[in-house]
Amino acid sequence: MAKKSTSPKKIILRILLYVVVIVVCMITLYPYFAMFCTALKSRAEIFSIDGTILPITSLWSNFIDIWQRAPMANYMLNSLIIAGGSTIIAMLCGIPAAYALARMKFKGQTVFLGFVIVSQMFAPVVLLIGIYKVMSLLSLTDSIVGLIFINAAFNQAFTIWLLRGTFMGISPEMEQAATIDGCNRIQGMIKVLLPVAAPGIVTTLIFIFINAWNEYTVALCLISTAEKQPLTVGINVFNGYNMIEWQYLFAASLFAIVPVVILFMFIEKNLVSGLASGGVKG
Amino acid sequence: MKNKTFRKVEPYIWIMPSIILMAIFILVPIIFVFRMSLSDVSKAGIIRDFAGFANFTKVIKSSAFKLVLKNTIVWTVAVVVLSTVLGFILALILNNEFRGRKIARAIMVFPWATTLVIQASAWKFIIDTDYGTLNTLLLRLGIIEQSINWTPTAEAYFMWEIACGIFVTIPFVTFCVLSGLQSIDGTYYEAATVDGASYWQQLFQITMPLVRSSLTVSTVLNIIYVFNSFPIIWTITKGDPANHTDTLVTYLYKLAFYNGKQGQAAAVSVIGFTILLICASVYMVYTLRKGDE
Repeated sequence: MAKKSTSPKKIILRILLYVVVIVVCMITLYPYFAMFCTALKSRAEIFSIDGTILPITSLWSNFIDIWQRAPMANYMLNSLIIAGGSTIIAMLCGIPAAYALARMKFKGQTVFLGFVIVSQMFAPVVLLIGIYKVMSLLSLTDSIVGLIFINAAFNQAFTIWLLRGTFMGISPEMEQAATIDGCNRIQGMIKVLLPVAAPGIVTTLIFIFINAWNEYTVALCLISTAEKQPLTVGINVFNGYNMIEWQYLFAASLFAIVPVVILFMFIEKNLVSGLASGGVKG
Repeated sequence: MKNKTFRKVEPYIWIMPSIILMAIFILVPIIFVFRMSLSDVSKAGIIRDFAGFANFTKVIKSSAFKLVLKNTIVWTVAVVVLSTVLGFILALILNNEFRGRKIARAIMVFPWATTLVIQASAWKFIIDTDYGTLNTLLLRLGIIEQSINWTPTAEAYFMWEIACGIFVTIPFVTFCVLSGLQSIDGTYYEAATVDGASYWQQLFQITMPLVRSSLTVSTVLNIIYVFNSFPIIWTITKGDPANHTDTLVTYLYKLAFYNGKQGQAAAVSVIGFTILLICASVYMVYTLRKGDE
């Protein structure tokens, strides 16, 4: 496949390629490197005039202190419940809808798909006043349950878009054969289609989980009780108006970043082709 | 007979949960926002009388609005255009075979997977004049001799916010384009090389047309996301000083939840929709046309 060529121009281009890739990687990693080093420093070291890059002595205790200084355990658990709950509801609503769009013909199909796409345009932040109003009516302000439904609703577009593509990429013949064997549609979907579509479903599932885990704006606006806040909002207790405890802020931030970055690396390839073409291959 | 009616109704049962979810949590809020934008709303958020376009006139006449609108346009255009160009170049680079490509790809995904509020805090720390690590790094490397004030003016702060926006948006563009690039049949390039086409000719006549669709998807989605992006600006400056770094979304958040002017905030929302509607129509036209092909 790769043809070996040794013309000087090719060698220079090769070197240039590596230089660019290395520089881009370094810039990309820089904020994470800075956060990690800062998380290990003492407050005095961070604010000293003679700034350091690497910590003089690594204070691993910062990573433990944050659990006492803020309800970190609550934040972690809340993020997990919010992200998990949003994912479950988004999938429970999204799978049947995507199935109907992929396998049935009905009046209003285009209108429904159109609304799904247009709903993408309304980010929660522009609708916050309206969302707050709905939440008050349902007495769901300052409630994790409310946040779960909002996240699920605003992720419907992606869920349906990705799953519809996945389902359409799978031939309906097997389900039809199952119907002849006496399965109804629901059995056919669960027993035949979903196992084949599993890779696409898992990608979609993880993507929604990450979106909900990373959500900040609605949680900031709706949740006022500290014990109910997710990580993204909660860690800002270290980001006060008068004094920012950078070492704690970044130590806590790493707890919020690491799990999802790892998850993301697993789905990246599948997700991108799905987004670009309207479906994750099954 | 009964079976036939059921078959007609059946699809609607399947899409019903999704419709209910989106109706309650997206459609109803949209209706509320439109109603509030046309009403007199009390500080507690209670909708009183119909007020016509009073909220809109108040918003448009206020001195801050022009600045905020200008910021929003600068923010959206700068972030989307620059991240698209840079992301595209990066995708072309990553499309080559080289050692360590997998690792490079994995690293470049980081900013996309990280929540914006944390990215923004990290950059806020990095560019701090007194103890930021950018100054420390440059001092240690001997590139500068004295700490530089990276943010002497509100405009400078806004530039850094744009830079941060570009930084977090690039991966999405890169990976969208990359997926388009990887679906191109290699024989096109072989044929072009045989015909003596230069690298640039191949880029503009083979690559560009073939990745156009992935580029359109990523650009349209980015316009919507960047326009509506809240956490970066909120974390770094909260739109201060005096609205100089506000965009429409941070401005409406302050109007609604700090100043108790929910009617005007709703009007700002509606103005935002109207601007975005143009982009959404482009998106719709594009997808529908693609569906016809």
